[in-house]
Amino acid sequence: MNAIETQRLTKDYGAGRGIFDLDLTVREGEILGFLGPNGAGKTTTIKLLMGTIRPTRGSAAIFGLDAQAQAVDVKRIVGYVPGELPQFGGWKGSEIVAWVAGLRGGLDGAEVTRVAERLDLDLGRRYREYSHGNKQKLALLLAFVHRPRLLILDEPTTGLDPLHQRVFYELLREARGHGATVFLSSHVMSEVEHVCDRVGIVREGRLVTAGPLSELAAIRSLRVEIVFDGSVPVERLRAVPGFEDVAATDHTVTGMLRGSFAPLLAALSGEPVASLTSREPSLEEVFLSFYDDPAPPGGAGRSDLTV
Amino acid sequence: MRDDQLPVTLFRLAVRSHRNGIVATSILSVVLALANAVGYVQLAGTDPQSRALFAREMELVGRQLTYLLPVPLQLDTMMGYIHWRVFGAVPLVLGFWAVIAASGVRGDEEKGLVEQWIVTGLSRARYIVTRVLAFAAVALFAVAFFILALVASTAAAGDPLEVVPTALQGFALWLLTLACFGVALVAAQLFSTRRAAAGAAGIVLMALYMLNAAARNDALAEVQAISPFWLYERNTPMLRGGSLDAPALLGLIGASVVLALSAIAAFAGRDMGASVLRQAAPTGARTTRPSGDPLLRIAVLAPLDQQKLWVLGWTLGLALFAAYLVSLTRLMVDALTAIPQMRAIFEAMGASGGYDAFVGGMWGSSALLLLSIFAVATVNGWVGDENDGRLEAALAQPASRTRIVLERVAVLTIAAAVIVAVSTAAVAAVAAQQDITLTADRFATGSALLVTVPFALAGFGAVVTSWRPRAAVPVLFVIVALGYFVQQFTPLFEWPDWVKFASVFSLYGTPLSSEVDWPGIFALLAIGTGGTIAGVALMQRRDVGR
Repeated sequence: MNAIETQRLTKDYGAGRGIFDLDLTVREGEILGFLGPNGAGKTTTIKLLMGTIRPTRGSAAIFGLDAQAQAVDVKRIVGYVPGELPQFGGWKGSEIVAWVAGLRGGLDGAEVTRVAERLDLDLGRRYREYSHGNKQKLALLLAFVHRPRLLILDEPTTGLDPLHQRVFYELLREARGHGATVFLSSHVMSEVEHVCDRVGIVREGRLVTAGPLSELAAIRSLRVEIVFDGSVPVERLRAVPGFEDVAATDHTVTGMLRGSFAPLLAALSGEPVASLTSREPSLEEVFLSFYDDPAPPGGAGRSDLTV
Repeated sequence: MRDDQLPVTLFRLAVRSHRNGIVATSILSVVLALANAVGYVQLAGTDPQSRALFAREMELVGRQLTYLLPVPLQLDTMMGYIHWRVFGAVPLVLGFWAVIAASGVRGDEEKGLVEQWIVTGLSRARYIVTRVLAFAAVALFAVAFFILALVASTAAAGDPLEVVPTALQGFALWLLTLACFGVALVAAQLFSTRRAAAGAAGIVLMALYMLNAAARNDALAEVQAISPFWLYERNTPMLRGGSLDAPALLGLIGASVVLALSAIAAFAGRDMGASVLRQAAPTGARTTRPSGDPLLRIAVLAPLDQQKLWVLGWTLGLALFAAYLVSLTRLMVDALTAIPQMRAIFEAMGASGGYDAFVGGMWGSSALLLLSIFAVATVNGWVGDENDGRLEAALAQPASRTRIVLERVAVLTIAAAVIVAVSTAAVAAVAAQQDITLTADRFATGSALLVTVPFALAGFGAVVTSWRPRAAVPVLFVIVALGYFVQQFTPLFEWPDWVKFASVFSLYGTPLSSEVDWPGIFALLAIGTGGTIAGVALMQRRDVGR
């Protein structure tokens, strides 16, 4: 069974804001990274999955449960970290945990202690005294502590120091070890590269690309660097089909190669090539390449893509 | 944005932040002006003889009420009556508005807005000065509107106020409001939360008000001048032979300036978000365990538990007020029922049948108003739950939207029932101590039925917060103000009986002093129930979150 399945899920706020015709499938047990710049529709998607906002059209299902009609049943199996943390004023951390325990029908006290100790979180302090990082830790604790089947995390490492980011990754790995599925929205490319199996990228409310990390990087392009012993045949290289973003210095040319190597090698035939290296671009380079491209006509993206 | 534009932008935003206060004070102005202008003509009559008689009797009564109002003078004229009855009571209302407004400065700091202004390049001194100027402008508008409402109402009643003396009295009132703002602005530097700052400023203001009340009875004369209310009362331009008191006005201006400068100095010397006093140590012992409080884990009881201090404060406040009111019963009944016109008013309020009826009538009407304010304040908390993300946090757990709405209404109703129960016990205890025999069945039934009014307001609140959360408090405020207005004006204008359905207060009737109006009670129950059901339905359909 798929952990998440959406069909033409749309929330239209008007003026092109929202998320449009999202077809999304997240398989049970995998970690999906959901990338996009501010205002792309990541948090809107998450709120639709959590049932806090109503779709304009389309549907979303969590483990076969309708995210809207069966929202209460969905919440029993979902752990959630919101993108914007709530304000609990003078409540103590321990009181917030007890309140959530009441809403959930109970929490394992030992598990609360275990996660709080891992995160070095003092539940005896008042919420307003917490730093941003500690508030984020409490949100993580509340998401993880009931061992959910699905974790929906909206920029979960915001405000965490590197030490506790590592603890978060460990918790994520452990949750996955227990079979949990993770839907992770993030701006942090290294984080997504580090923990995710697949990635979806949204732009202006539409899913523009999606796939396994390895495929995504390989299909899109390769970063190529060629060093010449003599002068650089720049114009000939710029004419090579699929060889883009060409930049040249005295003896070196760099560029992104999309598609086959054959045209590039043909163009280099007879040239004094000292070395040629190619590597997969980082996720950041892939991500940025989608935003360097001009928007498709009418602002529409590739809404037919399915993750 | 250029640096020199920052204060202008802040000024505009600060003025806008007071819009609810402006609406509230404007409505109150109209109600007070109309009620007292029309009421005076009805009570005192129009010919000099009846007015002289009214003045003589009312001044005798008024001298018993100096703990609340100034010493009454020249009640044979509209000017004198309005000066005593309206300009004597309104300072406390505007004072508490100033407290709410000034504590909003700390509220903005809690939200991080003040930090944004400071990092943008606005100095701390200019920030405070701009906030003071914005409130001064808004308060000036509120007072001017109040004066206009008074002049128009008295003209409509056939006995118009003289504009210039009334405006001069308004000027003194404006300066008093600014001084109250200054008190709360300093409190906002001493406490790190809006609630604490507002609470502390409110207590200080009440103390200063009571100091003036004591000064009216020649007590505490050596320190009376520190009360801005005492300084304000030195000004009597509306009375024959009265005038503005320049030293008192300078005192009010000086107090405002000194308080504002103190706030600036404190703000400049403290950390953002902190108190000017020493930083308190973190609360509570270190723990990694959930709270053991069992109430936090039980539906309905959990939110009640979280609000326990709030409910306790209201409970004690109303109980003390009830006890105080009942302790004055014999004195007030004996004095007031000697005035024929006042007897008629008491009959209309259902308080004309002796001491026990007076207790029922006065306590009933006071309790209704205070319980309504409690209900509006609680609904404001529901709006806060949404604005602060707590509603979304609750809905991220397996809690249905239906549960949220039902729980809110239940908590408000139960809290109101607790307040009513304790206040009722206080009334019964003090009545027994005063040898006033209450009709037990009627008193118990009427007291229990008080809860139907906050229940009905909870129903309204459920609908509006589920529909447009931002509109909830203004809409409820209008419902309460309209209800009060209709209740007060129906006997004066002899409006038809059906008008009572526009007032939750009129629907309650006067069961503490006469028969229970069951159709009205059932209407209140229907409003509460229907509103809750509609609130549940509306909540299912809307988006939640910031």
